Amino acid sequence: MSESMTKAQELVNLQIDGKNVSVPKGTNLIEAAKSIGVEIPFYCYHKHLSIAGNCRMCQVEVEGAPKLTIACNTAASEGMKVKTQETSEQVKEAQRATLEFLLINHPLDCTVCDQAGHCKLQDYYYDYNAKASRFIEEKSKKIKAEKLGEEVIYDGERCIVCTRCVRFCDEYTETGELSVLNRGDRTVIAVNEDRPLNNPFSGCTVDLCPVGALTHSRWRFNSRIWYTGSEDTICTGCSTGCNISVHVRDDKIIQVKGRLNSEVNQEWMCDEGRYGFDRFQPKERSKTPLIQKGNYLEESNLTSVIQSAKSFANTSESSPSDIAVFVSPFLTTEEIWLTSEFLKNTLKQSAPYQQAAIQLRTRKLTKLESKLISPDYAPNARSGNLFGFTGDLTDWRASLEAQYDRLLAQLRAGVIKRLILIGDQAILDSDLDQELTQSILAVPNSLALTPRGLVGGEIVLGDAPVGAHQLCKLIIPTQTVHEKNGVMLNKDFRLQRLKALISPPNGSYPEWLVLQRLARELGSSILPDNVTDERTLFLHMLSKLETSDMKFPSGGFKNDNPFKELSNSGSASLRVIGDNGFVL
Amino acid sequence: MQTNHHKILTANVHHLDQHLLSKYEERGGYQAIRKVLKQTPEEVIQEVKASGLRGRGGAGFPTGMKWGFVPKNLGKPIYLLNNADESEPGTFKDRLLMERDPHLCIEGMMIAAWALGANWSCLYIRGEYGYPAVRMEQAIEEAYKKGYLGKNIFGTTFSLDIVVHRGAGAYICGEETGLIESLEGNKGQPRLKPPFPAVVGLYGCPTVVNNTETLATLPWIILNGASAYAKIGTEKSAGTKLFSASGHINKPGVYEVDLGYSLLDFINNECGGIRGGKKLKAVIPGGSSVQVLRADELEGVKLDYESIKGAGSMLGSGGFMVMDESTDMVEACLNLQHFYSHESCGQCTPCREGANWVQKIVGRIYDGAGTYSDIPLLKSVTSQIAGHTICPFGDALVTPVLSFIEKFPEEFNTRIAQANGIPTFNTGEELSSQVLDAVSENAKNVAANV
Repeated sequence: MSESMTKAQELVNLQIDGKNVSVPKGTNLIEAAKSIGVEIPFYCYHKHLSIAGNCRMCQVEVEGAPKLTIACNTAASEGMKVKTQETSEQVKEAQRATLEFLLINHPLDCTVCDQAGHCKLQDYYYDYNAKASRFIEEKSKKIKAEKLGEEVIYDGERCIVCTRCVRFCDEYTETGELSVLNRGDRTVIAVNEDRPLNNPFSGCTVDLCPVGALTHSRWRFNSRIWYTGSEDTICTGCSTGCNISVHVRDDKIIQVKGRLNSEVNQEWMCDEGRYGFDRFQPKERSKTPLIQKGNYLEESNLTSVIQSAKSFANTSESSPSDIAVFVSPFLTTEEIWLTSEFLKNTLKQSAPYQQAAIQLRTRKLTKLESKLISPDYAPNARSGNLFGFTGDLTDWRASLEAQYDRLLAQLRAGVIKRLILIGDQAILDSDLDQELTQSILAVPNSLALTPRGLVGGEIVLGDAPVGAHQLCKLIIPTQTVHEKNGVMLNKDFRLQRLKALISPPNGSYPEWLVLQRLARELGSSILPDNVTDERTLFLHMLSKLETSDMKFPSGGFKNDNPFKELSNSGSASLRVIGDNGFVL
Repeated sequence: MQTNHHKILTANVHHLDQHLLSKYEERGGYQAIRKVLKQTPEEVIQEVKASGLRGRGGAGFPTGMKWGFVPKNLGKPIYLLNNADESEPGTFKDRLLMERDPHLCIEGMMIAAWALGANWSCLYIRGEYGYPAVRMEQAIEEAYKKGYLGKNIFGTTFSLDIVVHRGAGAYICGEETGLIESLEGNKGQPRLKPPFPAVVGLYGCPTVVNNTETLATLPWIILNGASAYAKIGTEKSAGTKLFSASGHINKPGVYEVDLGYSLLDFINNECGGIRGGKKLKAVIPGGSSVQVLRADELEGVKLDYESIKGAGSMLGSGGFMVMDESTDMVEACLNLQHFYSHESCGQCTPCREGANWVQKIVGRIYDGAGTYSDIPLLKSVTSQIAGHTICPFGDALVTPVLSFIEKFPEEFNTRIAQANGIPTFNTGEELSSQVLDAVSENAKNVAANV
């Protein structure tokens, strides 16, 4: 529940375009109008930045005011009567004129501009005018393709000097690299030569730019935006779970944008998450399951591999403590839940699981980075935390990491006879030293579910391994975090939807499917037959969670049990609503 | 013949040693502040309100009322800023005061500071005023040495520090919130209002920004009483005002006249009439941002806020520009538009883009490349700049162009006609009324189709 909802707030009543509206005191007219579905146009206004009031696009008529007033800087007050462009010709004319002013010196390079197709100048031009320009003079010349920093390139002629980017660097990052230079129609945005725009959130300035003045240096000219599909999903870089939208074309990620969610990331995201977005997408992919034969990996098929995995069953010879299950933090919540079911029902472990661990390594962050970035690389470790992977909910990172280290130590000590790796980076590459390599090779039964590529028969074991999965006896190709639909829990137990962006390659299987097959092979079914896809899996999980013994910390977290509301509603369609996070 | 005007501000400017503290005191200086310090701030504010003194920077807002907006007991310091960023084209009156009578400016600031409860004051002087800035700095230094500035002035609890801050050459820093931004070290750009500087000003504290001339009037009001000041001038425009007269006149300069004085008398007496015996064509009475007045509109007009307003212009800053019959009004208009286009701060859209557009259109007409639709276009563009900007610069830039077009349409039309192949003759004769009618008719038709 949002803070604004929980805080008792005074409401004011006003009229916008003749319609009555009640909003909390202090709400500006843009937001007030939005609440009744009236879109007042603007460029410089941003919900999470200070008011600049310089674009003059949001002028509205307020009864009693001597002249038009800007909606962004006007707080709704009791009895106020506002007319927007919908009902006032004067307002419409003023907005049309403002747009005309913005366009007179704006270059006509829409044909090569990255913003074309999602540009507010274009949109409003069609709304307000759509006529040839009355401006027959020569347009002003300004700097083009100026590098502001490593990631951001500036075009002075396209710039409408809304100063959103300047305010972002002043107010959010407080690094102040950008400023406004020159006067009048010579005005441009500039950096100091010795202090380029290289802060950890620099890419947000491009998101904020309402026109095409700022572009990503690595993504510019990638694709026309209308050839891309856009998906609203979350960033899987850390456990903050920034809301983003991703533009994809032909299974390639074209562009990543922050998405408005006031309670998670406002509209920001870090450069590491943005520009490193496709780091979870390996270039090489396995086409078939593999089985270790001697010193080589041989191509096989799922049925054979699963049959070979029979040796993982509990027998009279095995002990409950000779098994180790490493779980990737990049799995969806459904898959982590299913893993816990697998541990409980199939391997007869009991929570908190002593022989399973979610991979988590804490990281050090600067003060600025920690404004948004979480000190981990584990987007969904919180789910594991919830489903019995460790008991400690408060100091959760440290306890998960300790458990992961404890299990690694057991592996090194050679007491592990059955090893299962579920998902990408279930054991971190950076943890894989020579000793661990030998230890894993020495484990008699080992199985890896991994999306990362291996070509059977070519890799000699022990020879500079690319990852722990490669050392396992059985390898099943699975899907990356970008190829799955599902949900994830962020550090604050906020349930958020993860969308598939890319189609998985032929011959890969989702982890949940492999787990189910494996469980059945080992003599216990963990999913009913009607679970056939991600959606039914999610609904099945919800139905199970009602009776589960999930533990949530009492108080201290913004969200109550995030599943409770979902499981009670019984509706089958999922959607994500911008500012309210996840609803069913 | 010179009319006998009161000399409130310029009584001593002809003394070339007036800038020395000793000479200033010899001629009655620093008596008003001594008197004021025995009064309560409320009494001083009351006195200034009663005098009817209005802001001399251009807006003519009653000074005492402006001071009354400052909230008391906010627990924040109150700042007094002396606006000497005298950048309005045609205006150079404050310069005279600062150069010739700097201590008068200081004493005025002291009185205002006492009335407002300010202990820190700044003289924001335009960057181009090098010599006046030095004069003011020297005078302030002298006052500090004498103990007239600093702590416990004249043995009272009143303390005041004055610093001189030189601008960097931006017209917009004369706008009070632009001035405050500049003083804080930011780019000189006006702020959104509300909040107004009287409540949230310099460094977020209550701030009063007064024009140099306004402040320099205070010592006289204190010494001679509000009623004496109110008696001068007219009922609503009390006192005297400095006019900086320039243009095609025999005696350009700064003149102090009682408000309510006849405008034509001012030209003929103080200004010494039109240069070279030519005919008067037009007057811009209050700095470039006010409407131009044609010679035939000046009959009976008086130099006070109301009378000039009645004639369709404004008293403004008193930048009195006179143009004779040889003036090319299109060129004069272009000159002004060049200034506004150059000085637009670039913050908000209509002014940033519009100022330059207007200049380009006027420039095109001047260059003989105008079209019949340009006049309606200018009117349409300017109507969307005025009132739509953050600060009054938008209104300031459209006022001259609109008034030039309105008052001298034939000159614009002639240029456009020439550009469109309608012959004119080099004999100085104007186009016949028939041709002009045809041209304006054509312009109307074209405009209707735009």
